[in-house]
Amino acid sequence: MSRRTFLGISAGAAAAVTASYAIKWPQIGSAPTPEDYEEGVLAEKRVATSCLNCPTRCAVNVRVVNGKAVRIVGNPKSTYSEGKACPRSHVGLQVLYNPERFTKKPLKRKEGVPKGREAGPKSLESLKESFAEIEWSEALGEISEKLREISAPDKLLLLQGLNSTSNEDLIRRFAKAYKTPHLLSEEALEVAADNKGKQMADGRDNGGYDLGNANYILAFSANIVESERPLARNLRMWGKIRRERPNRAKVVVLDPRYSVTAAKADEWVPIKPCTEGILAMAIAHEIIKEDLYDKDFVNDTWTSGFAEYKALALDEFSPDTVAARADVPAAVIRRIAKEFAQSKPAIAWSGTGATSWPYGANASHAIFLLNALVGSIDAKGGIVYQDPPQYKDMPDVPGTDPEVLSLRAAEGEISSAEAVIGFNSNLVMCVPETSTWDAFLAALPYYVHIGPSWNEMARYADIVLPACTYLEEWAYETSLPGSGLAEVRIKQPVVERIGDSKPVAEILFELANRFNADHEVRKAFQGIGDSPEGFVKERTKSLTNLSWDDFTQNGVWRQEDHKDYTYRKYDQLFQTERFRFRDKAFLGKVYNIEFKGNSSEDALTLITYHPVLDMRSGNQNYPWAQEIFLVMHGYGWDNFAEINTQTADNLRIKDGDKVWVESDVDRIKAKARVFEGIRPGVVAIACGQGHYACGEWADGIGVNPNRIMILNYDEESGQPCFFNTRVKVYKA
Amino acid sequence: MAQWGMVIDLDKCIGCQACSIACKSENNVPYGSPDEQKRRTDIFWHKVIAVSKGEYPTANIEIIPMPCMHCDSPPCVTVCPAKATYKREDGIVMQNLRRCIGCKYCLVACPYGARSFNYKEQEEEEYQRPDLPADLGLDNKADIGPWPFPHRTHGVVEKCTFCFHRIDQGIEEGKEIGVEVVPACVEACPSGARFFGDLSDPESAVSKLLASRDSFKLREDMSTKPKVSYLPR
Repeated sequence: MSRRTFLGISAGAAAAVTASYAIKWPQIGSAPTPEDYEEGVLAEKRVATSCLNCPTRCAVNVRVVNGKAVRIVGNPKSTYSEGKACPRSHVGLQVLYNPERFTKKPLKRKEGVPKGREAGPKSLESLKESFAEIEWSEALGEISEKLREISAPDKLLLLQGLNSTSNEDLIRRFAKAYKTPHLLSEEALEVAADNKGKQMADGRDNGGYDLGNANYILAFSANIVESERPLARNLRMWGKIRRERPNRAKVVVLDPRYSVTAAKADEWVPIKPCTEGILAMAIAHEIIKEDLYDKDFVNDTWTSGFAEYKALALDEFSPDTVAARADVPAAVIRRIAKEFAQSKPAIAWSGTGATSWPYGANASHAIFLLNALVGSIDAKGGIVYQDPPQYKDMPDVPGTDPEVLSLRAAEGEISSAEAVIGFNSNLVMCVPETSTWDAFLAALPYYVHIGPSWNEMARYADIVLPACTYLEEWAYETSLPGSGLAEVRIKQPVVERIGDSKPVAEILFELANRFNADHEVRKAFQGIGDSPEGFVKERTKSLTNLSWDDFTQNGVWRQEDHKDYTYRKYDQLFQTERFRFRDKAFLGKVYNIEFKGNSSEDALTLITYHPVLDMRSGNQNYPWAQEIFLVMHGYGWDNFAEINTQTADNLRIKDGDKVWVESDVDRIKAKARVFEGIRPGVVAIACGQGHYACGEWADGIGVNPNRIMILNYDEESGQPCFFNTRVKVYKA
Repeated sequence: MAQWGMVIDLDKCIGCQACSIACKSENNVPYGSPDEQKRRTDIFWHKVIAVSKGEYPTANIEIIPMPCMHCDSPPCVTVCPAKATYKREDGIVMQNLRRCIGCKYCLVACPYGARSFNYKEQEEEEYQRPDLPADLGLDNKADIGPWPFPHRTHGVVEKCTFCFHRIDQGIEEGKEIGVEVVPACVEACPSGARFFGDLSDPESAVSKLLASRDSFKLREDMSTKPKVSYLPR
């Protein structure tokens, strides 16, 4: 290395500027001022928009310098998470400038190139070569022709990955007008059972946890600060419950794995997988036996079925019975139950881990009932209900609203579908038993992939339409239930569109315009603003006291500015239908803990989790997220088969060994991580890795645990089970 | 003269690493790669480390965010033969990338691993950050403005600067440092676990926080007198 090299003046391209800039280097220690750059024009602006790297969709501000987005920070105008955003929001820059964006024209699969992972091209490079560029008009023409041709409207299946609220509204409207009831939302894949279980109690789907005001939080395999929605709000409220109030809340985590939440909690209780439901019932047993439950809520006016529930809990779920099954000492269950009932307001939080097995909805229900027992329903520091913001109604479309399909229902529909359109979909990566879905998708007669960058679903596409990222489009977002008062956030283009990409909304408008004038789809997209921007403007017109200028400037509209939250409005919530405690036929099922696959003694239960930097948009080609992927292991660019030291000794596996993790359907080779933060008999693998068509920063890195998971469903909701497979782990 | 320092509340910290990414984004710190991770040559001005203790079921993993400690007695300054690293009057330990001869003495001397050597070749593609505008700062000086480090020099040592550019600019604009103006990691922290301010001012938020709670510094036995303190749970 020459001295010239480390002075940085040898590299050709950089030479000129380094020299001129270098002259100023000795003054490092003082900030550069605009006068230092008088030779150029410095155009800097701040654009208020919102994130879309997970379903929380936080309001953010983007700093744009000379037409380039350079920095993303939380929007202080948003009170939902008090102006903060999670680490994923910063990665938005790499989502926008991802080198694997579809930046050119739409793509059409070349004749004769097979689809899918097994048969299709192996590398991303060869995948790219299997498509030819076509014009937008040609692509949209072909798709609309296909939509006219297929034998019946219900032969069209729509796959919805992570999309903005307004794009979801448009997609649903498109489906309704086209008269297809088949819409699969990937966002709901992991929470369907949880939502179902709660809904079976309170009859609603708009409840959230008021974490910031709670005194005692009982997390049932809920990674509150890692993956539970709404993440950024959880992170902010965590700070609040710890040190921003006179009384510090207590957090107890019941989880087979020592999650980040467990590490940051006051107590970690390692439980056997899928025993969250029986533990909830045992805690209920203790609360009822000690007569600690809240009689202001649990009475015949507001609730039904309590007598049967009480009998069931007292008869069959004593802490002594449950202790052995869950491997938690009965004394611990009793103590937690008392603490929970006596430290109001308290929250029992059901996480994905608690509800992703065949009786997940039942477990979710059992856990949710604990909130009712301690009077946390519609209470400060408990469960709060968020009314939807009053968007302006769109002209009615005749027909019935499409239901959101469960994956179980989608499995039934996908093989008979004649055309499938995926909006930001990455279905094949996020469902269990990848090989099954690979076969389904490869056999599709016609698949249109709409998304911003290369991902695994492009392997099945006949047509690829390059969509904008969320930083280049118009949209509105509704906050997830959390504070009880809704917040609406804007999405507006922060930079000019990259390449020849179009926003999803624009694609839908253009497609609709290609239908005949009297077709319902064409009519459905008229009079709703005529463009993505117009649509957002039109829909948000009716929000109280909101001017368009304010909205684009501030980025958020807050319901709290116009009304306060009223707690315990039971007369509104449970007037027509009372809060329900389900009976033995339903709740008794939480005892049916059984696993799929290998039943031998030394088989381990496979559990998965989503680290905070698992980008929930289905792509991981982002170096910032990759290099610090696993905070608990201080490691990135990988994921591990995490096992307990004791288990590893039995299996003769050492830390860092390459191991096969094998189930009945497939096997994957991962690096073993032997440590103390997990139950013996369990193997945990982080989701988010194992990509093979996303780009150089994701492909061939780590493994996708969904590949080896055995496909089965939650009985009630049809949600796939992610915590239900037994696997063998052995040295590779 | 103010003495800038940071306080990190480990009770509020949730190990999300927003600080680490915000730092990379603010200071244009190059990202690494699997290979660089293996060779430990990736550059971090801020890192979150995990320290594990105990055995199952009483395992304990402490997650600790690590900026530069901006020591009051910085060993890196003592060992630097080129006077490239120095302590400013306000206590910020700086690295003059023009003076640095890349000898890495400071890297060895730093007990906190807060320093990184830039192994990236100037020509390396990712060194130019494809996620950032390609034309940034290469032919238009105006683009350099908002960034203190639009592009970097191969073969020198880099480190956290407490976002000095923000502080200096804030002072110039008469803003209140620690309240209106904070380093990028403090600004990004979603749980509000990080605090920045003047340690020499007993009325500052950081001083009050330190007075109100038990605190510790990392490797106090080394007599480096770090200006980053941690509040335990």
